[in-house]
Amino acid sequence: MGETILEMKEISKAFPGVQALDRVNLDCQRGEVHALAGENGAGKSTLVKILAGAYRPDEGEINLQGQETTFHSPKDAQMAGVTIIYQEFNLIPDLNVAENIFLGREPRNRFGIVDVKTLYRRSKEVLAELGSDMDLFRKVKTLSVAQQQTVEIAKALALDADIIIMDEPSSVVSGKELEGLFRIILSLRDSGKAIIYISHRIDEIFQIADRVTVLKDGQLVDTVKTEDVDKQGLISMMVGRTFAETFPPREQGEKREILRLEGVCRGRKLRDISLGVRSGEILGIAGLGGSGRTELARAIFGADRIEKGTIHFDGEKVKNLTPRTAIARGVGFVTEDRKQEGIIHNQSVKFNLTLAIIDKIQRWTLIQNQKEKAICDKSVAQFNIATPTLEQEVQYLSGGNQQKVILAKWVNANPKLVIMDEPTRGIDVGAKAEIYNLMRRLVKQGTGIIMISSELPEVIGMSDRIVVMHDGEIAGELSPSEATEEGILALAAGVVRQNGEGVDS
Amino acid sequence: MNFGYIRQHWETVFVYFILFALIVLVGATNHLFLSSRNIQMVLLAAVALGLASFGQTFAILSEGIDLSVGSVISLTTCLTAGLINGRDQMVIPVVALVIGLALLIGFANGFLIVKTGVSPLIVTLGMMSIVQGAALIYAIGPIGEISPAYYFLAWGKVGPFSFPVLLFGIVTVILIYVLKRTTFGRYVYALGGNEEVARLSGIHTGRIRIYVYMLCSLMAALSGLFLTSRMGMGEPVVGEHFMFESIVPVLVGGTSFLGGVGGIVGTLAGVLILTVLQNAVNLFGISTYWLWIVEGGIIVSAAAFYLKEKI
Repeated sequence: MGETILEMKEISKAFPGVQALDRVNLDCQRGEVHALAGENGAGKSTLVKILAGAYRPDEGEINLQGQETTFHSPKDAQMAGVTIIYQEFNLIPDLNVAENIFLGREPRNRFGIVDVKTLYRRSKEVLAELGSDMDLFRKVKTLSVAQQQTVEIAKALALDADIIIMDEPSSVVSGKELEGLFRIILSLRDSGKAIIYISHRIDEIFQIADRVTVLKDGQLVDTVKTEDVDKQGLISMMVGRTFAETFPPREQGEKREILRLEGVCRGRKLRDISLGVRSGEILGIAGLGGSGRTELARAIFGADRIEKGTIHFDGEKVKNLTPRTAIARGVGFVTEDRKQEGIIHNQSVKFNLTLAIIDKIQRWTLIQNQKEKAICDKSVAQFNIATPTLEQEVQYLSGGNQQKVILAKWVNANPKLVIMDEPTRGIDVGAKAEIYNLMRRLVKQGTGIIMISSELPEVIGMSDRIVVMHDGEIAGELSPSEATEEGILALAAGVVRQNGEGVDS
Repeated sequence: MNFGYIRQHWETVFVYFILFALIVLVGATNHLFLSSRNIQMVLLAAVALGLASFGQTFAILSEGIDLSVGSVISLTTCLTAGLINGRDQMVIPVVALVIGLALLIGFANGFLIVKTGVSPLIVTLGMMSIVQGAALIYAIGPIGEISPAYYFLAWGKVGPFSFPVLLFGIVTVILIYVLKRTTFGRYVYALGGNEEVARLSGIHTGRIRIYVYMLCSLMAALSGLFLTSRMGMGEPVVGEHFMFESIVPVLVGGTSFLGGVGGIVGTLAGVLILTVLQNAVNLFGISTYWLWIVEGGIIVSAAAFYLKEKI
């Protein structure tokens, strides 16, 4: 390994309500692949976005080649030799390969006209460095995802980038293509570039990285050489200390199967999913971001169509499921993204509380005001929603209270099954506890709950059964008594499969 | 009206204040303005614009827009006058036909928007051309003649009150009620507020959207029926400027281009402001086209304002 090319010191960054990064250090050397690992929300993306000039840090300094630097924009960072390749590529589909590589920086002749000859010669050279002989004249939209990724990397090379950041590149390619990507990364490393490689996947990190930095809850856990640590060791670093949180004791409701999925498929995100949910239980679904958890929830609710497989409610097979028919069958869906999918933010608390049951409180299509108000008053009391009046626009409530409005909205519909996608994300501890208690109360009344969560203590503390997803498949099922954070993460990261190598228990 | 209402609806209160100030200002500077004959004229103008704008309010509330209202108005006047052609016994069948046709046009608008996913702006722009073309094929210039009974629609009196103004008042109250008290009204706000949330709450978003455009076309047809009675004949380009003018009062009244915010009460103020301005411009002998410039400015700045809010 060569000289230190990058040092990030004591970087802190806060967003409203969260400390995304808390005095994190990262250094990078020429000729190394440096992996960045950690669970969802650990702060990996924030850190590299700061490095790429997309965010400004609240505190801390960035030293590039020994000089303190401030990036005011992504363009600044690019000029200084830092390029980031996001999961969603930044390519213009209707331009060809060469035009994309030099987009916005086309070589020009002395009349200011694009120098086409140089453009194609330089593009060819850059691609050759990556061992690719791609047709320069092909439109990018006709390329495979792996080829598009190569074009993105070529763009970085054409910029003379010294530091190339890759944000979960393996989430879009796999198998042979991934091997090709690794070859490219290693050759870049050998030519003296520094590569920062973000990944959830433990195996890959050991395959390709020289060192790995682990973040947890916005804090630096450690930076280690990959040769000095093993998989289980890395997983424990990622899980780290656990918060001493207390969860209300389990409640037992009446148990009977209310939902069954058989061989459900949808694209890459849902592959042959079979599972059952009983009344009066909480089924926890764990898995990393992008493992298909949210897609599973949307499929059960009919928000997305399934391509294969069957869904049964109360033992009855349901075809052409839509949200409307799912609701009619007693399903509620607390979405992950409150603002985009959960609330109508500029409408009142009342409006949101009764949105899914307006049909039931009308007569001759006239909304029955008395009935509506009674329902809302009850919800506000039962869920302890802090709002001055029912007419208050829901956007002015705190995150926790907004979430309670959404929960109450579905409880008002008398559901048999409630799907909750990250029900406690971004809300304060007090509201969290209240939501846990509400979940227990629902279960006691015989409602089934599917709880998707990235917070492993929550999954273990609340669930009656835990299903872990990896890459669109069910990697294993655990009971809360045998589940450990390490065990779940090992399944979620694809290190072990339950029916293969077995799980530590 | 209590203080809480004013605080929550200060924008609406503000628009009505502007209307009031405008009336006082014009009334003070021109003695003809508050004459009963002039008031009558302003109100009749408000009826034609108001009906179209109310329909447009629903479209914009649902985060859409309907550019075909003007040509629906034109086609309505041509067909009504052309087919009645002086015969009283034709009034009812012709009115039924025209309303049916408008509902069909609205259905086509909504259906295309929902099924193809093409933006309402483009779909209704295309529909505008189609309907305008049809109107001009049917009548290249002024056409037909209404029957004696049909005069009542625009010129009739019920006691001391003008029949159309009375009718307009009733329609206004009904539409306010529909928006505030019915499930359909809720759904329109939900659709404009966040279509995905509405869909995930079990609302038939596609169906509601189609109803919205049907209602919008229906209101344009009502405006056309009224104009036919007022003019006594059909005129294939009479609605041309309504495409634009039906939108201005909606925006002035505080309904957002982003959908989900606003309502009929605000639009009513917008309609009255615009008609008073038009009247004032006439009274002062200024060219109406100055008003066009002002209206254009209003639309662009309103759109820019709402876009900024979104970011």
